[in-house]
Amino acid sequence: MESAGGILPWSEWGHNSVSLLAVNDLGKRFGGVQALQGVSFTVQDGDVLGIIGPNGAGKTTLLNCVSGLFRPDRGDIRWQDRSIVGQAPYRIARLGIGRTFQIVRPFPSMTVRENTAMGALFGQPAGRLQPAEALRQADAVLDLVGLADKRSHPVLRLTVPDRKRLEVARALAMRPRLLLLDEVMAGLNQVEVEQALEMVRQVRASGVAIVLIEHVMKVIVGVCNRALVLNLGRPLLEGPPSEVLRDRRVIEAYLGERYARGGDA
Amino acid sequence: MWGILNIVNLAHGALVIAGGYLTWLLYSRWHVDPFLSLPVDAVALFVIGYALQRGVINRIIRAPLLFTFLLTFGLNLILVSVLLLLFTPDYRSVTTSYSGSRLELGSIAVPYIRVASLAVAILLAAILWLILNRSRTGAAIQAVGADRDAAQLVGIDLRHAYALTFAIGAAFAGVAGGLISTFQAITPTAGDPYTLQAFAVVILGGLGRVSATVAGGLLFGLIEILGQSTPGLGSGYANAIAFAVLVIVLAFRPQGLLGRLA
Repeated sequence: MESAGGILPWSEWGHNSVSLLAVNDLGKRFGGVQALQGVSFTVQDGDVLGIIGPNGAGKTTLLNCVSGLFRPDRGDIRWQDRSIVGQAPYRIARLGIGRTFQIVRPFPSMTVRENTAMGALFGQPAGRLQPAEALRQADAVLDLVGLADKRSHPVLRLTVPDRKRLEVARALAMRPRLLLLDEVMAGLNQVEVEQALEMVRQVRASGVAIVLIEHVMKVIVGVCNRALVLNLGRPLLEGPPSEVLRDRRVIEAYLGERYARGGDA
Repeated sequence: MWGILNIVNLAHGALVIAGGYLTWLLYSRWHVDPFLSLPVDAVALFVIGYALQRGVINRIIRAPLLFTFLLTFGLNLILVSVLLLLFTPDYRSVTTSYSGSRLELGSIAVPYIRVASLAVAILLAAILWLILNRSRTGAAIQAVGADRDAAQLVGIDLRHAYALTFAIGAAFAGVAGGLISTFQAITPTAGDPYTLQAFAVVILGGLGRVSATVAGGLLFGLIEILGQSTPGLGSGYANAIAFAVLVIVLAFRPQGLLGRLA
Protein backbone atom coordinates (compact mmCIF):
# COMPACT_ATOMS: atom_id res chain seq x y z
CA MET A 1 0.00 0.00 0.00
CA GLU A 2 1.35 3.35 -1.02
CA SER A 3 0.73 6.28 1.24
CA ALA A 4 -0.79 9.13 -0.71
CA GLY A 5 0.61 12.63 -0.93
CA GLY A 6 4.04 11.68 0.35
CA ILE A 7 5.90 14.18 -1.81
CA LEU A 8 4.51 17.16 0.00
CA PRO A 9 6.15 18.24 3.26
CA TRP A 10 2.95 19.01 5.20
CA SER A 11 1.46 15.58 4.80
CA GLU A 12 4.46 14.00 6.49
CA TRP A 13 2.93 13.71 9.91
CA GLY A 14 0.19 11.40 8.66
CA HIS A 15 2.73 8.81 7.58
CA ASN A 16 2.49 5.98 10.08
CA SER A 17 -1.28 5.49 9.86
CA VAL A 18 -3.69 5.39 6.95
CA SER A 19 -5.38 8.75 6.46
CA LEU A 20 -9.13 9.08 6.69
CA LEU A 21 -9.07 11.16 3.52
CA ALA A 22 -6.09 11.68 1.25
CA VAL A 23 -6.32 14.02 -1.72
CA ASN A 24 -3.36 13.83 -4.06
CA ASP A 25 -2.46 16.17 -6.93
CA LEU A 26 -6.08 16.93 -7.75
CA GLY A 27 -6.87 18.77 -10.99
CA LYS A 28 -10.17 19.94 -12.43
CA ARG A 29 -10.77 22.07 -15.51
CA PHE A 30 -14.00 23.66 -16.73
CA GLY A 31 -13.52 24.57 -20.37
CA GLY A 32 -10.68 27.10 -20.35
CA VAL A 33 -10.66 27.59 -16.59
CA GLN A 34 -8.30 25.55 -14.47
CA ALA A 35 -10.45 25.40 -11.33
CA LEU A 36 -8.08 23.16 -9.38
CA GLN A 37 -4.46 22.25 -9.94
CA GLY A 38 -2.05 20.17 -7.87
CA VAL A 39 -4.13 20.22 -4.71
CA SER A 40 -3.06 17.70 -2.07
CA PHE A 41 -3.95 17.30 1.58
CA THR A 42 -4.86 14.66 4.11
CA VAL A 43 -7.40 14.49 6.89
CA GLN A 44 -6.92 12.31 9.96
CA ASP A 45 -9.45 11.31 12.60
CA GLY A 46 -10.01 14.28 14.91
CA ASP A 47 -8.82 16.87 12.39
CA VAL A 48 -10.62 20.10 11.67
CA LEU A 49 -9.11 21.36 8.43
CA GLY A 50 -10.01 24.88 7.33
CA ILE A 51 -9.91 25.69 3.63
CA ILE A 52 -9.61 29.38 2.92
CA GLY A 53 -9.02 31.47 -0.15
CA PRO A 54 -10.55 34.33 -2.13
CA ASN A 55 -13.71 33.89 -4.15
CA GLY A 56 -13.12 31.66 -7.14
CA ALA A 57 -10.16 29.94 -5.51
CA GLY A 58 -11.74 26.52 -6.11
CA LYS A 59 -12.85 25.71 -2.58
CA THR A 60 -16.37 24.54 -3.41
CA THR A 61 -15.09 22.74 -6.52
CA LEU A 62 -12.74 20.85 -4.25
CA LEU A 63 -15.60 19.73 -1.98
CA ASN A 64 -17.66 18.79 -5.05
CA CYS A 65 -14.84 16.54 -6.25
CA VAL A 66 -14.54 14.85 -2.85
CA SER A 67 -18.30 14.29 -2.55
CA GLY A 68 -18.48 12.95 -6.11
CA LEU A 69 -20.61 15.65 -7.73
CA PHE A 70 -17.66 16.49 -10.00
CA ARG A 71 -15.20 14.03 -11.40
CA PRO A 72 -11.64 15.36 -11.22
CA ASP A 73 -9.55 15.33 -14.41
CA ARG A 74 -6.45 14.18 -12.62
CA GLY A 75 -5.15 13.12 -9.25
CA ASP A 76 -6.62 10.78 -6.71
CA ILE A 77 -8.97 10.94 -3.75
CA ARG A 78 -8.57 8.11 -1.27
CA TRP A 79 -10.92 7.28 1.58
CA GLN A 80 -9.22 5.05 4.12
CA ASP A 81 -6.70 4.19 1.42
CA ARG A 82 -9.23 3.24 -1.25
CA SER A 83 -9.78 5.44 -4.27
CA ILE A 84 -13.26 6.96 -4.52
CA VAL A 85 -12.75 8.84 -7.79
CA GLY A 86 -15.59 8.10 -10.20
CA GLN A 87 -17.92 6.66 -7.58
CA ALA A 88 -21.53 7.85 -7.49
CA PRO A 89 -22.20 10.59 -4.93
CA TYR A 90 -24.67 8.43 -3.00
CA ARG A 91 -22.03 5.73 -2.53
CA ILE A 92 -19.47 8.24 -1.30
CA ALA A 93 -22.09 9.63 1.10
CA ARG A 94 -22.74 6.14 2.46
CA LEU A 95 -19.02 5.56 2.99
CA GLY A 96 -19.23 8.19 5.72
CA ILE A 97 -18.65 11.55 4.05
CA GLY A 98 -21.39 14.06 4.93
CA ARG A 99 -21.70 17.34 3.11
CA THR A 100 -23.48 20.67 3.48
CA PHE A 101 -24.03 23.30 0.84
CA GLN A 102 -23.05 26.94 0.95
CA ILE A 103 -26.51 27.88 -0.23
CA VAL A 104 -28.75 25.73 1.91
CA ARG A 105 -30.76 23.09 0.07
CA PRO A 106 -33.45 21.61 2.31
CA PHE A 107 -36.24 19.48 0.88
CA PRO A 108 -39.08 22.05 0.90
CA SER A 109 -42.04 19.68 1.23
CA MET A 110 -40.74 18.19 4.47
CA THR A 111 -40.52 19.37 8.07
CA VAL A 112 -37.26 19.99 9.88
CA ARG A 113 -37.49 16.57 11.46
CA GLU A 114 -38.24 14.81 8.17
CA ASN A 115 -35.41 16.60 6.41
CA THR A 116 -32.99 15.43 9.06
CA ALA A 117 -34.37 11.92 8.96
CA MET A 118 -33.50 11.70 5.25
CA GLY A 119 -29.83 11.54 6.18
CA ALA A 120 -30.49 8.70 8.61
CA LEU A 121 -32.82 6.93 6.22
CA PHE A 122 -30.48 6.74 3.26
CA GLY A 123 -27.01 7.84 4.20
CA GLN A 124 -25.82 5.54 6.96
CA PRO A 125 -22.98 3.17 6.19
CA ALA A 126 -24.60 0.41 8.25
CA GLY A 127 -27.54 0.02 5.88
CA ARG A 128 -31.29 0.34 5.80
CA LEU A 129 -33.29 1.97 8.53
CA GLN A 130 -37.04 2.02 8.91
CA PRO A 131 -38.68 5.47 8.78
CA ALA A 132 -39.69 5.38 12.48
CA GLU A 133 -36.12 4.68 13.59
CA ALA A 134 -34.79 7.36 11.24
CA LEU A 135 -37.14 9.92 12.79
CA ARG A 136 -36.03 8.91 16.27
CA GLN A 137 -32.39 9.39 15.34
CA ALA A 138 -33.25 12.71 13.70
CA ASP A 139 -34.56 13.95 17.06
CA ALA A 140 -31.24 13.14 18.71
CA VAL A 141 -29.32 15.05 16.05
CA LEU A 142 -31.68 18.03 16.28
CA ASP A 143 -30.93 18.19 19.99
CA LEU A 144 -27.23 18.40 19.19
CA VAL A 145 -27.55 21.27 16.71
CA GLY A 146 -30.12 23.14 18.78
CA LEU A 147 -33.17 22.75 16.57
CA ALA A 148 -35.13 20.42 18.82
CA ASP A 149 -37.92 22.90 19.56
CA LYS A 150 -38.45 23.58 15.84
CA ARG A 151 -38.59 19.98 14.68
CA SER A 152 -42.15 20.17 13.34
CA HIS A 153 -41.68 23.44 11.51
CA PRO A 154 -41.86 23.47 7.73
CA VAL A 155 -38.34 24.25 6.55
CA LEU A 156 -39.34 27.28 4.54
CA ARG A 157 -40.26 29.08 7.78
CA LEU A 158 -36.76 28.71 9.22
CA THR A 159 -34.37 31.65 9.58
CA VAL A 160 -31.05 31.57 7.72
CA PRO A 161 -28.99 30.43 10.75
CA ASP A 162 -31.53 27.70 11.46
CA ARG A 163 -31.41 26.51 7.85
CA LYS A 164 -27.65 26.23 8.17
CA ARG A 165 -28.09 24.18 11.33
CA LEU A 166 -30.54 21.98 9.47
CA GLU A 167 -27.97 21.34 6.73
CA VAL A 168 -25.52 20.22 9.38
CA ALA A 169 -28.19 18.12 11.10
CA ARG A 170 -29.11 16.33 7.88
CA ALA A 171 -25.47 15.51 7.21
CA LEU A 172 -24.87 14.40 10.82
CA ALA A 173 -27.86 12.07 10.70
CA MET A 174 -25.85 10.04 8.20
CA ARG A 175 -23.43 9.28 11.05
CA PRO A 176 -20.47 10.36 8.94
CA ARG A 177 -16.83 10.03 9.93
CA LEU A 178 -16.01 13.15 7.94
CA LEU A 179 -18.15 16.24 7.54
CA LEU A 180 -17.58 18.71 4.70
CA LEU A 181 -18.99 22.11 5.67
CA ASP A 182 -19.30 24.70 2.93
CA GLU A 183 -19.48 28.16 4.54
CA VAL A 184 -21.91 27.30 7.29
CA MET A 185 -21.09 30.61 8.99
CA ALA A 186 -21.60 32.93 6.02
CA GLY A 187 -24.36 35.45 6.57
CA LEU A 188 -24.47 34.94 10.34
CA ASN A 189 -24.05 37.74 12.86
CA GLN A 190 -21.53 37.73 15.72
CA VAL A 191 -23.74 35.92 18.18
CA GLU A 192 -24.86 33.37 15.62
CA VAL A 193 -21.25 32.69 14.62
CA GLU A 194 -20.43 31.97 18.27
CA GLN A 195 -23.34 29.54 18.47
CA ALA A 196 -22.33 27.86 15.21
CA LEU A 197 -18.74 27.57 16.44
CA GLU A 198 -19.98 25.85 19.56
CA MET A 199 -21.94 23.45 17.37
CA VAL A 200 -18.85 22.62 15.29
CA ARG A 201 -16.85 21.99 18.48
CA GLN A 202 -19.52 19.60 19.68
CA VAL A 203 -19.50 17.77 16.37
CA ARG A 204 -15.73 17.44 16.60
CA ALA A 205 -16.03 16.22 20.18
CA SER A 206 -18.44 13.52 19.00
CA GLY A 207 -15.61 12.04 16.94
CA VAL A 208 -16.30 13.42 13.47
CA ALA A 209 -13.45 14.88 11.44
CA ILE A 210 -14.30 18.12 9.65
CA VAL A 211 -13.21 19.96 6.53
CA LEU A 212 -14.69 23.43 6.46
CA ILE A 213 -14.62 26.23 3.94
CA GLU A 214 -14.77 29.58 5.67
CA HIS A 215 -14.22 33.27 5.11
CA VAL A 216 -14.64 34.24 8.75
CA MET A 217 -11.09 34.09 10.11
CA LYS A 218 -12.31 33.88 13.68
CA VAL A 219 -13.81 30.51 12.80
CA ILE A 220 -10.59 29.23 11.27
CA VAL A 221 -8.57 30.25 14.34
CA GLY A 222 -11.28 29.22 16.76
CA VAL A 223 -11.88 25.67 15.67
CA CYS A 224 -9.36 24.43 13.08
CA ASN A 225 -6.11 22.67 13.89
CA ARG A 226 -4.85 23.17 10.33
CA ALA A 227 -5.64 25.49 7.47
CA LEU A 228 -5.08 25.09 3.72
CA VAL A 229 -5.00 28.20 1.56
CA LEU A 230 -6.09 27.99 -2.07
CA ASN A 231 -5.56 30.71 -4.60
CA LEU A 232 -6.68 30.47 -8.24
CA GLY A 233 -7.10 26.73 -7.86
CA ARG A 234 -3.60 26.09 -6.51
CA PRO A 235 -2.51 25.38 -2.95
CA LEU A 236 -0.71 28.40 -1.52
CA LEU A 237 0.32 26.90 1.80
CA GLU A 238 -0.85 24.72 4.65
CA GLY A 239 -0.14 24.84 8.36
CA PRO A 240 -1.48 25.85 11.77
CA PRO A 241 -4.15 28.56 11.35
CA SER A 242 -2.34 31.26 13.35
CA GLU A 243 0.77 30.93 11.17
CA VAL A 244 -1.12 30.68 7.91
CA LEU A 245 -3.12 33.82 8.58
CA ARG A 246 0.04 35.82 9.31
CA ASP A 247 1.71 34.74 6.08
CA ARG A 248 2.40 37.57 3.67
CA ARG A 249 1.30 35.55 0.61
CA VAL A 250 -2.09 34.86 2.17
CA ILE A 251 -2.69 38.51 2.94
CA GLU A 252 -1.70 39.37 -0.62
CA ALA A 253 -4.06 36.83 -2.08
CA TYR A 254 -6.94 38.07 0.00
CA LEU A 255 -6.45 41.79 0.11
CA GLY A 256 -4.07 42.60 -2.72
CA GLU A 257 -0.36 43.24 -2.79
CA ARG A 258 -0.50 46.90 -1.81
CA TYR A 259 -2.34 46.09 1.41
CA ALA A 260 0.30 43.54 2.35
CA ARG A 261 3.09 46.07 1.87
CA GLY A 262 1.21 48.57 4.00
CA GLY A 263 1.87 46.63 7.20
CA ASP A 264 0.36 44.07 9.51
CA ALA A 265 -3.34 43.79 8.69
CA MET B 1 -43.47 11.51 -13.11
CA TRP B 2 -43.35 14.93 -14.59
CA GLY B 3 -42.85 16.70 -11.30
CA ILE B 4 -40.08 14.39 -10.19
CA LEU B 5 -38.29 13.42 -13.34
CA ASN B 6 -39.00 16.55 -15.37
CA ILE B 7 -40.11 14.23 -18.12
CA VAL B 8 -43.28 14.57 -20.14
CA ASN B 9 -43.92 10.96 -20.92
CA LEU B 10 -45.44 10.78 -24.40
CA ALA B 11 -45.46 6.99 -24.13
CA HIS B 12 -47.97 7.12 -21.26
CA GLY B 13 -50.91 6.16 -23.51
CA ALA B 14 -49.00 3.22 -24.98
CA LEU B 15 -48.34 1.93 -21.44
CA VAL B 16 -52.06 2.26 -20.68
CA ILE B 17 -52.93 0.26 -23.79
CA ALA B 18 -50.29 -2.35 -22.97
CA GLY B 19 -52.03 -2.91 -19.65
CA GLY B 20 -55.34 -3.19 -21.51
CA TYR B 21 -53.98 -5.85 -23.83
CA LEU B 22 -52.55 -7.84 -20.96
CA THR B 23 -55.95 -7.94 -19.29
CA TRP B 24 -57.55 -8.89 -22.61
CA LEU B 25 -54.97 -11.62 -23.19
CA LEU B 26 -55.45 -13.13 -19.74
CA TYR B 27 -59.22 -13.01 -20.14
CA SER B 28 -59.45 -14.40 -23.67
CA ARG B 29 -56.85 -17.14 -23.17
CA TRP B 30 -57.37 -18.24 -19.60
CA HIS B 31 -60.65 -16.57 -18.60
CA VAL B 32 -59.00 -14.58 -15.85
CA ASP B 33 -61.47 -12.06 -14.50
CA PRO B 34 -60.34 -8.59 -15.66
CA PHE B 35 -60.37 -7.22 -12.13
CA LEU B 36 -58.15 -10.07 -10.96
CA SER B 37 -55.67 -9.38 -13.75
CA LEU B 38 -55.11 -5.80 -12.58
CA PRO B 39 -52.31 -6.77 -10.14
CA VAL B 40 -50.63 -8.65 -13.01
CA ASP B 41 -50.86 -5.50 -15.16
CA ALA B 42 -49.32 -3.51 -12.34
CA VAL B 43 -46.38 -5.86 -11.86
CA ALA B 44 -45.70 -6.31 -15.58
CA LEU B 45 -45.80 -2.60 -16.33
CA PHE B 46 -43.73 -1.85 -13.22
CA VAL B 47 -40.99 -4.10 -14.60
CA ILE B 48 -41.25 -2.61 -18.09
CA GLY B 49 -41.25 0.92 -16.68
CA TYR B 50 -38.23 0.25 -14.47
CA ALA B 51 -36.30 -1.18 -17.42
CA LEU B 52 -37.23 1.72 -19.72
CA GLN B 53 -36.13 4.33 -17.22
CA ARG B 54 -32.99 2.54 -16.08
CA GLY B 55 -31.88 1.47 -19.53
CA VAL B 56 -33.03 4.30 -21.77
CA ILE B 57 -34.51 7.45 -20.24
CA ASN B 58 -31.92 7.84 -17.45
CA ARG B 59 -29.37 8.58 -20.16
CA ILE B 60 -30.99 11.91 -20.99
CA ILE B 61 -32.23 12.87 -17.56
CA ARG B 62 -30.10 16.01 -17.46
CA ALA B 63 -30.84 16.96 -21.06
CA PRO B 64 -33.30 19.74 -21.98
CA LEU B 65 -37.00 18.95 -21.95
CA LEU B 66 -37.13 18.71 -25.74
CA PHE B 67 -34.93 15.61 -25.70
CA THR B 68 -37.31 13.86 -23.34
CA PHE B 69 -40.14 14.71 -25.74
CA LEU B 70 -38.25 13.18 -28.64
CA LEU B 71 -37.21 10.11 -26.71
CA THR B 72 -40.61 9.32 -25.22
CA PHE B 73 -42.25 10.07 -28.58
CA GLY B 74 -39.95 7.47 -30.12
CA LEU B 75 -40.64 5.01 -27.31
CA ASN B 76 -44.34 5.53 -27.93
CA LEU B 77 -43.91 4.63 -31.62
CA ILE B 78 -41.93 1.51 -30.73
CA LEU B 79 -44.42 0.37 -28.10
CA VAL B 80 -47.38 0.92 -30.41
CA SER B 81 -45.62 -0.97 -33.21
CA VAL B 82 -44.83 -3.87 -30.93
CA LEU B 83 -48.47 -4.00 -29.82
CA LEU B 84 -49.57 -3.92 -33.47
CA LEU B 85 -47.28 -6.85 -34.29
CA LEU B 86 -48.43 -8.83 -31.29
CA PHE B 87 -52.14 -8.12 -31.35
CA THR B 88 -52.96 -6.75 -34.87
CA PRO B 89 -54.89 -3.49 -35.28
CA ASP B 90 -58.26 -5.19 -34.62
CA TYR B 91 -60.38 -3.73 -31.84
CA ARG B 92 -60.48 -5.98 -28.77
CA SER B 93 -62.76 -5.81 -25.79
CA VAL B 94 -63.26 -7.74 -22.61
CA THR B 95 -66.90 -8.74 -22.26
CA THR B 96 -67.66 -10.57 -19.06
CA SER B 97 -70.90 -12.13 -17.86
CA TYR B 98 -71.54 -9.06 -15.72
CA SER B 99 -70.61 -6.51 -18.37
CA GLY B 100 -74.20 -5.53 -19.06
CA SER B 101 -75.40 -5.40 -15.45
CA ARG B 102 -76.28 -2.05 -13.99
CA LEU B 103 -76.75 -0.57 -10.59
CA GLU B 104 -80.19 1.12 -10.51
CA LEU B 105 -80.37 4.22 -8.36
CA GLY B 106 -83.79 5.74 -8.92
CA SER B 107 -83.73 7.15 -12.40
CA ILE B 108 -79.99 6.63 -12.90
CA ALA B 109 -78.44 3.37 -13.98
CA VAL B 110 -74.71 2.90 -13.61
CA PRO B 111 -72.94 -0.18 -15.00
CA TYR B 112 -71.36 -2.24 -12.21
CA ILE B 113 -68.09 -2.17 -14.07
CA ARG B 114 -67.99 1.60 -13.83
CA VAL B 115 -68.72 1.45 -10.10
CA ALA B 116 -65.94 -1.10 -9.62
CA SER B 117 -63.56 1.01 -11.71
CA LEU B 118 -64.28 4.00 -9.51
CA ALA B 119 -63.50 1.90 -6.44
CA VAL B 120 -60.22 0.74 -7.97
CA ALA B 121 -59.32 4.31 -8.91
CA ILE B 122 -59.92 5.47 -5.32
CA LEU B 123 -57.84 2.56 -4.05
CA LEU B 124 -55.02 3.44 -6.44
CA ALA B 125 -55.01 7.07 -5.36
CA ALA B 126 -54.83 5.95 -1.72
CA ILE B 127 -51.98 3.53 -2.49
CA LEU B 128 -50.08 6.22 -4.35
CA TRP B 129 -50.54 8.64 -1.47
CA LEU B 130 -49.24 6.03 0.96
CA ILE B 131 -46.22 5.24 -1.21
CA LEU B 132 -45.30 8.89 -1.61
CA ASN B 133 -45.92 10.02 1.96
CA ARG B 134 -45.34 7.04 4.19
CA SER B 135 -42.64 4.90 2.63
CA ARG B 136 -38.89 5.04 2.27
CA THR B 137 -39.26 4.96 -1.51
CA GLY B 138 -41.67 7.89 -1.38
CA ALA B 139 -39.23 9.89 0.72
CA ALA B 140 -36.50 9.23 -1.85
CA ILE B 141 -38.80 10.21 -4.71
CA GLN B 142 -39.77 13.46 -3.02
CA ALA B 143 -36.17 14.30 -2.18
CA VAL B 144 -34.97 13.63 -5.72
CA GLY B 145 -37.81 15.76 -7.06
CA ALA B 146 -36.87 18.64 -4.78
CA ASP B 147 -33.10 18.67 -5.28
CA ARG B 148 -31.22 15.92 -7.03
CA ASP B 149 -27.77 16.91 -5.80
CA ALA B 150 -28.83 17.25 -2.17
CA ALA B 151 -30.67 13.93 -2.49
CA GLN B 152 -27.55 12.16 -3.75
CA LEU B 153 -25.51 13.57 -0.93
CA VAL B 154 -27.77 12.13 1.75
CA GLY B 155 -27.16 8.75 0.15
CA ILE B 156 -30.01 8.35 -2.32
CA ASP B 157 -29.24 6.35 -5.46
CA LEU B 158 -30.50 8.76 -8.10
CA ARG B 159 -30.85 6.28 -10.95
CA HIS B 160 -32.71 3.79 -8.82
CA ALA B 161 -35.05 6.48 -7.49
CA TYR B 162 -35.79 7.70 -11.03
CA ALA B 163 -36.41 4.19 -12.26
CA LEU B 164 -38.76 3.47 -9.35
CA THR B 165 -40.66 6.68 -10.04
CA PHE B 166 -41.16 5.81 -13.68
CA ALA B 167 -41.97 2.20 -12.81
CA ILE B 168 -44.69 3.26 -10.37
CA GLY B 169 -46.14 5.59 -13.00
CA ALA B 170 -46.09 2.80 -15.58
CA ALA B 171 -47.72 0.35 -13.16
CA PHE B 172 -50.58 2.77 -12.53
CA ALA B 173 -50.96 3.37 -16.27
CA GLY B 174 -51.15 -0.40 -16.80
CA VAL B 175 -53.90 -0.82 -14.21
CA ALA B 176 -55.80 2.05 -15.81
CA GLY B 177 -55.51 0.24 -19.14
CA GLY B 178 -56.83 -2.96 -17.62
CA LEU B 179 -59.85 -1.07 -16.31
CA ILE B 180 -60.43 0.68 -19.63
CA SER B 181 -60.48 -2.62 -21.50
CA THR B 182 -63.56 -3.66 -19.49
CA PHE B 183 -65.79 -0.92 -20.85
CA GLN B 184 -64.14 0.16 -24.07
CA ALA B 185 -62.69 -1.61 -27.08
CA ILE B 186 -58.95 -1.09 -27.43
CA THR B 187 -56.55 -1.01 -30.34
CA PRO B 188 -52.80 -0.37 -30.26
CA THR B 189 -53.13 3.19 -31.52
CA ALA B 190 -55.84 4.17 -29.05
CA GLY B 191 -53.40 5.40 -26.41
CA ASP B 192 -52.78 8.97 -27.51
CA PRO B 193 -55.90 10.52 -25.94
CA TYR B 194 -54.81 9.09 -22.59
CA THR B 195 -51.42 10.77 -22.88
CA LEU B 196 -53.15 14.04 -23.62
CA GLN B 197 -55.64 13.61 -20.81
CA ALA B 198 -52.99 12.65 -18.28
CA PHE B 199 -51.04 15.73 -19.27
CA ALA B 200 -54.13 17.95 -18.96
CA VAL B 201 -55.24 16.48 -15.64
CA VAL B 202 -51.83 16.94 -14.05
CA ILE B 203 -51.58 20.53 -15.25
CA LEU B 204 -55.12 21.32 -14.19
CA GLY B 205 -54.65 19.99 -10.68
CA GLY B 206 -51.11 21.16 -10.20
CA LEU B 207 -47.88 19.23 -9.95
CA GLY B 208 -46.62 17.35 -6.99
CA ARG B 209 -49.58 16.26 -4.94
CA VAL B 210 -51.85 13.23 -5.27
CA SER B 211 -54.84 15.19 -3.98
CA ALA B 212 -54.28 17.90 -6.59
CA THR B 213 -54.11 15.35 -9.38
CA VAL B 214 -57.29 13.61 -8.19
CA ALA B 215 -59.09 16.97 -8.09
CA GLY B 216 -57.76 17.78 -11.54
CA GLY B 217 -59.00 14.44 -12.85
CA LEU B 218 -62.49 14.86 -11.41
CA LEU B 219 -62.78 18.39 -12.75
CA PHE B 220 -61.51 17.43 -16.18
CA GLY B 221 -63.97 14.52 -16.33
CA LEU B 222 -66.87 16.75 -15.27
CA ILE B 223 -66.04 19.38 -17.86
CA GLU B 224 -65.84 16.72 -20.55
CA ILE B 225 -69.22 15.25 -19.59
CA LEU B 226 -70.82 18.69 -19.37
CA GLY B 227 -69.43 19.44 -22.81
CA GLN B 228 -70.92 16.25 -24.17
CA SER B 229 -74.35 16.75 -22.65
CA THR B 230 -74.77 20.45 -23.42
CA PRO B 231 -77.60 20.74 -25.93
CA GLY B 232 -76.49 21.93 -29.32
CA LEU B 233 -72.96 20.65 -28.88
CA GLY B 234 -72.03 17.18 -30.01
CA SER B 235 -69.61 14.95 -28.13
CA GLY B 236 -67.00 16.12 -30.62
CA TYR B 237 -66.74 19.36 -28.67
CA ALA B 238 -66.12 17.66 -25.32
CA ASN B 239 -62.32 17.69 -25.68
CA ALA B 240 -62.31 21.16 -27.15
CA ILE B 241 -64.21 22.54 -24.17
CA ALA B 242 -62.08 20.65 -21.66
CA PHE B 243 -58.86 21.93 -23.18
CA ALA B 244 -60.25 25.46 -23.46
CA VAL B 245 -60.80 25.35 -19.69
CA LEU B 246 -57.24 24.10 -19.31
CA VAL B 247 -55.86 27.03 -21.28
CA ILE B 248 -57.92 29.47 -19.20
CA VAL B 249 -56.70 27.92 -15.94
CA LEU B 250 -53.10 28.10 -17.12
CA ALA B 251 -53.52 31.75 -18.03
CA PHE B 252 -54.63 32.68 -14.52
CA ARG B 253 -53.00 30.02 -12.34
CA PRO B 254 -49.88 28.66 -14.05
CA GLN B 255 -49.14 26.38 -11.09
CA GLY B 256 -52.50 24.58 -11.49
CA LEU B 257 -55.60 24.91 -9.36
CA LEU B 258 -54.13 23.35 -6.23
CA GLY B 259 -50.47 23.43 -7.15
CA ARG B 260 -47.72 25.17 -5.25
CA LEU B 261 -45.19 27.43 -6.83
CA ALA B 262 -41.78 25.85 -6.85
